[in-house]
Amino acid sequence: MADPENTKLGRMLLDEISPAVMVLRTPLVEESCRKNDLSLIEMLVPFSSFRNIDVPVRTASDQPYRLREFRLRLFYNSDIRQRSTEAAMERLKQVITYAEDKEISELCSYQEEIEPVVMTSAQELVPSWFQNFNKELIDAAAFSEHEAFDHPVACLVAVSSKDKDPIAKLVDLFNTNQLPYLLNDGAMDPKILKYYLLVHDNQEGMLEKATGILAEMRRTFGANDCHLLCINSSINGREEHKQNPWASHKSSASNVKQFGCFLNKDDIEELRNTMHDFSSKHVIPLMELKIRVLNQQVSATRKGFRNQIKNLWWRKGKDDVSENPSVPVYTFNSTESQIRVLGDYAFMLRDYELALSNYRLISTDYKLDKAWKHNAGVQEIMGLAYFMLDQSRKDAEFCMENAFTTYVKIGSSCGRNATRCGIWWAEMLKARDQYKDAAGVYFRISGEEPLRSAVMFEQAAYCFLMSTPAMLRKYGFHLVLSGDLYNKSDQIKHAIRTYKGALSVFKGTAWSHIRDHVHFHIGKWYAILGMFDEGIKHVLEVLACGHQAKLTQELFLREFFQIIQETGKTYEVLRLQLPVINFSSIKVVFEDHRTYASPAAADVEESLWQALEEDMTPSVAGLKSNWLELQSKILPKKYKESNVCIAGEAIKVEVSFRNPLQIPISVSNVSLICKHSAECDESESATNGSLDEDKNDKELRTVSITGETSTDASLFDLSEVNISMRGGETVLVQLTVTPKVEGTFKLVGVRWKLSGSVIGICNFQSDIIRKKVAKGKRKPKKSVKDNLEFLVIKSLPRLEGTIHSLPRTVYAGDLRCLTMELSNPSKTHVKNLKMKISHPRFLDIAAQEVMNLEFPTFLKKQAISSRSCTTLDPSKTAKTAFMFPENIASSWQTPIKWPLWFRAADPGSISLYITIYYETEDVSSIIKYRTLRMHYNVEVLPSLEVSFRISPSPSRLHEFLVCMDATNRTSSENFQVHQLSCVGDQWELALLQPIGSDLSLGRLLAGQSLSCFFRLKNCKTRGSTEDNISSLAKGIANVRLVDSDSSGLYDTSVSPFDLFHHHERLHQERHGQGNGGTVDFILIAESEDDTNSGPPRTTEILSHYTCHCRVGSSSPVWWSMDVPRSVRHDFSSGFCEINLSMTVYNSLEDAVSVRINTLDSLTQSSLVTSTAGVSGNEVGWHDITYLTDAKVTSDAIGARVGKALSPESVSPFIWSGPCSTRFNLEPLSSAEVPLQISVFCQGTFDLSNYLLQWNLLPGDRVDDGNESTVRSGSCHGHPYHITVLQKE
Amino acid sequence: MASTACFMIVSKNDIPIYEAEVGTVPKKEDAAHQHQFILHAALDIVQDTAWTTSAMFLKSIDRFNDLVVSVYVTAGHTRLMLLHDSRNDDGIKSFFQEVHELYIKTLLNPLYLPGSRVTSSHFDTKVRALARKYL
Repeated sequence: MADPENTKLGRMLLDEISPAVMVLRTPLVEESCRKNDLSLIEMLVPFSSFRNIDVPVRTASDQPYRLREFRLRLFYNSDIRQRSTEAAMERLKQVITYAEDKEISELCSYQEEIEPVVMTSAQELVPSWFQNFNKELIDAAAFSEHEAFDHPVACLVAVSSKDKDPIAKLVDLFNTNQLPYLLNDGAMDPKILKYYLLVHDNQEGMLEKATGILAEMRRTFGANDCHLLCINSSINGREEHKQNPWASHKSSASNVKQFGCFLNKDDIEELRNTMHDFSSKHVIPLMELKIRVLNQQVSATRKGFRNQIKNLWWRKGKDDVSENPSVPVYTFNSTESQIRVLGDYAFMLRDYELALSNYRLISTDYKLDKAWKHNAGVQEIMGLAYFMLDQSRKDAEFCMENAFTTYVKIGSSCGRNATRCGIWWAEMLKARDQYKDAAGVYFRISGEEPLRSAVMFEQAAYCFLMSTPAMLRKYGFHLVLSGDLYNKSDQIKHAIRTYKGALSVFKGTAWSHIRDHVHFHIGKWYAILGMFDEGIKHVLEVLACGHQAKLTQELFLREFFQIIQETGKTYEVLRLQLPVINFSSIKVVFEDHRTYASPAAADVEESLWQALEEDMTPSVAGLKSNWLELQSKILPKKYKESNVCIAGEAIKVEVSFRNPLQIPISVSNVSLICKHSAECDESESATNGSLDEDKNDKELRTVSITGETSTDASLFDLSEVNISMRGGETVLVQLTVTPKVEGTFKLVGVRWKLSGSVIGICNFQSDIIRKKVAKGKRKPKKSVKDNLEFLVIKSLPRLEGTIHSLPRTVYAGDLRCLTMELSNPSKTHVKNLKMKISHPRFLDIAAQEVMNLEFPTFLKKQAISSRSCTTLDPSKTAKTAFMFPENIASSWQTPIKWPLWFRAADPGSISLYITIYYETEDVSSIIKYRTLRMHYNVEVLPSLEVSFRISPSPSRLHEFLVCMDATNRTSSENFQVHQLSCVGDQWELALLQPIGSDLSLGRLLAGQSLSCFFRLKNCKTRGSTEDNISSLAKGIANVRLVDSDSSGLYDTSVSPFDLFHHHERLHQERHGQGNGGTVDFILIAESEDDTNSGPPRTTEILSHYTCHCRVGSSSPVWWSMDVPRSVRHDFSSGFCEINLSMTVYNSLEDAVSVRINTLDSLTQSSLVTSTAGVSGNEVGWHDITYLTDAKVTSDAIGARVGKALSPESVSPFIWSGPCSTRFNLEPLSSAEVPLQISVFCQGTFDLSNYLLQWNLLPGDRVDDGNESTVRSGSCHGHPYHITVLQKE
Repeated sequence: MASTACFMIVSKNDIPIYEAEVGTVPKKEDAAHQHQFILHAALDIVQDTAWTTSAMFLKSIDRFNDLVVSVYVTAGHTRLMLLHDSRNDDGIKSFFQEVHELYIKTLLNPLYLPGSRVTSSHFDTKVRALARKYL
């Protein structure tokens, strides 16, 4: 550690604990001094401290030492007393206010960012006025009777040479009633050294007179104790001093040059000599002498073993006597007092060893006497002595703590002493770099009095800052504590100063309550001072305080509006946090060549539209590569990158605002900030400089201001929206701007008015960019920034389109005729209209004639003859775009109406995209064509679930049994199943049982299911052989399932049924089809209107398509036996020969060769396999009549089989024709094969014991290497029973 | 149970990730920021003391007027801080240990990003229940 004398505390002690001198003077002396704007003491002070006095001093020890520095403290007699509380307070306030005045300028100009505290040196931060403040606090405790170092050592008595009878005046001055109480009440020796000073004003009188008086004084008071001091030698009073000695001592800010204006060099020299003489020749020798005398006395009475014992004895006795603490127990001639004086004098002359030994001596005495205050005083000075000796830190600290706690224990009467002791203690710890402990001491000093506590807290804060490692958080906390107390004692500027300091710590902290508290209070206080801009800046920080309690939020908001009100103007705030804008959700919707019919359409992903429009619009790549195209050269490159929008068409911006508070706020006049410039004067720098944030913000401000002027209003139209937000609500606001003039156009930001008083501005660009930087790498997709700049071109025609009465929810299968309406408000001609629909299964284009027809009745069969509808080629519409006829758009006076077919194909929700392409006639425009995009969502509910099962009829070739299961999946809706149709001419469909037997056949209630059986006949194959039948059968492809005559059948062969059938066929396409043909069914149902009360609604048609129902068995070759069921034969005349004919049909597209093998021996295995084959291949749909027959004869069969098992037994019948027949069959043709059996006895016989083998004929077709196709196969015969009876 | 108690979990980046007023006395208007201030300032002390001992529970390390700050430092240097006005070291220690366990369970949640705010309501109810039990 450095020399204790050079530490701050050391200097302080050298200043404070130095001999005090009482100054007595006459008013005339004071008057003379006043000429220099100084009092007598003020004039003397600069010369009463000596830096290099170099006086030899000899105290108790014989060894003299030299005193280098010395200082006298001068006090008027009136000042030698303890200050009243009020006076002390007043002086403290003065210091603080003075400091405040000095710092106000700093606060006002304090605009820049707060530097991190660690960067700046800690010493710089500590305000310099702390020293003054501490000194005032220490001074307040001065002149206590329990300490001797404040007791005047000497007395300076000054009279003026102008005084009448100066000798009498000198005596008179030392009158007791003017002396301080310390001298009067016996706390100190009244016989003190007196030094007589005759002050002579050179301007007012002759020096001779003064010397005369001096001579007289010398006679009266002794030659050595009198001195003549001549001042004011300068005549004109313009004396200037290079280094004004008074400047540093006088604290007030008045003109420094005034001081000592009448004092010339000689005067100053004389002042210096006088004081030097006084201290070195009078004060120091006196103190030396007194120390020696007292030391001897003390040694005599107290030192040595005997004295100590005596002392102890004596003390005990005394203990009981004096119990009254208010009376000063120790007078100046008591031993204790003398020891104390001895110690203090030694301390003042820097003989700390001597001082310490004496202090130790009386410390125990005071303790025994329970004189706590005295004891504390001694402990305190002991601590200081230890410190000055730089010995035993522990002892020093212990003493200080002891003193401090004792003072505190004594109570309020020693508050000042406690404070002084604390300050010294803290300084001591600081000198030893124990800043943390020092902070603790400062914290303990702070009492109830707010102002003093505030300063103490602040000092504690700086201690934390200076400790190593720096305790920044403690620093911040104590600054805030101190700021609060400053505020309490109305020192707002100091409060702001401390909070600002704290802010440097708490800036950007995640501790939200702390941040809010600091910002809010600074803001509030700035507003009180009238610095509204600063205030608002800080309060703004806390506005979006969603984490705070509701009451606090209200308080913040109220305060904010109050400040705003006080400013008296609408305040514009950049990046107002209320409401919060969600930048990632900002969406800009504009229309260039793409136009949208509804906002929903704009939300759809661009790629979907592009895929839809791909082959309709001219390709972009081709446009660019064509170097002959002049258009691309006309456009500057810059504009290619920016978006294109069209004058007069609105740009929509969706901004989502969120209210972070729990209290409702009202936001009004939300509008966009835009910048419009003519095409030419756009400079390049505007695009480059967009990254420069500051510049941008400034630019934004100017824009926002000019945005209100009328000149811009002609360039674009802005929409304004007012919203009120409840607590925590998020509101999506759609703002529009419509540029009116060609040029470049830029969306700059958004502005809004909060509660009608604050205008918030938000810059899209800078904020988005900032966000991007923060996020780091992000996929460089089309950035939002690009969306903000537009090239405005002149107006173009824009079509508007809607589809009328498109239902939101429908039942699956619902078939409707809708109308699309296209209008062109601009009345400018457009051409080449094309349309494409994303889901032709759901929505398709109808012929225009449909418009005039009544749906759905015109679809009924009766109307067919009278209708000549242009049927669209379904295959064409599916892939390519539909071209509207050229003549349609001849006049746009009335909107075009065009019919569309709608059918809800599948349950679920479906998004329908419709895009309409058109070209403008204006060739010069940048945009050649536009597309109108429409988007609709339809919810399709399940209605009927239809399934079909088809099995070939075992008895008849080309005939199938169809089982239809229909289930109503709705919960409430009833349906009337109207008709079932199968598509194609070759099919003939009929109910298995005639209608009418069951009346409720066609009606399906909610949740019900229905099964119907149909007979399906393939007419086409028959047609190949029998043409006449096929022509007849053509009309019977529809079966009516409803019993009413009124409703006719729908014609399923025309649009829209065939249209949707085509799409369904494509959609339901299956892979791995089996052999044989497939059939497509259409089930048409009508929804039933249950409520009779409601308005009669149009019948809703539901059509259900089931395509690719497989027809036929696994084998591609079918056959059927054509035999009489029963034969009567007279067996007496021999066996019976029955001729059979088998019709074999080849359903394949290739020729096959077929071989029929008849087997006479009916083995068990063949029987088993045959039955297995039957049950495996056929699902079990048999002709009912046949089944009943079989039942009857079941017994007979069983008997026969039993018989057949024995190998010896002869089969009851044999195949009598050729045992193997082989023939070739052309594709899709049939052939008849004759067979014959011979029956030997009557009975019922099963004619299934034959094998039919087929294989593809090679050669005809080029084999495409498809392995999965079956090339050959063999089948067992179908069971066929024949009954032979004995002819009667 | 302590009449005033404020429990807070501070991540290793000195960001509060969980706060709860667990005292019996209804929360005062200005208490929230005062408690934050005290706890925030106590971090300075934690910084010093945490490395001087191997124990996780640092006992009461700081005080402001009659409010005491007890701290428990986890191995990941997450600090569980309790501001309280009652002296019940054993209870506080148990409280900290159980909350530490809860916090570890939260950490094990793959969806929880270490160092982010603990928003689980389950955690909150558990902590409050523990506070009722031990403090």
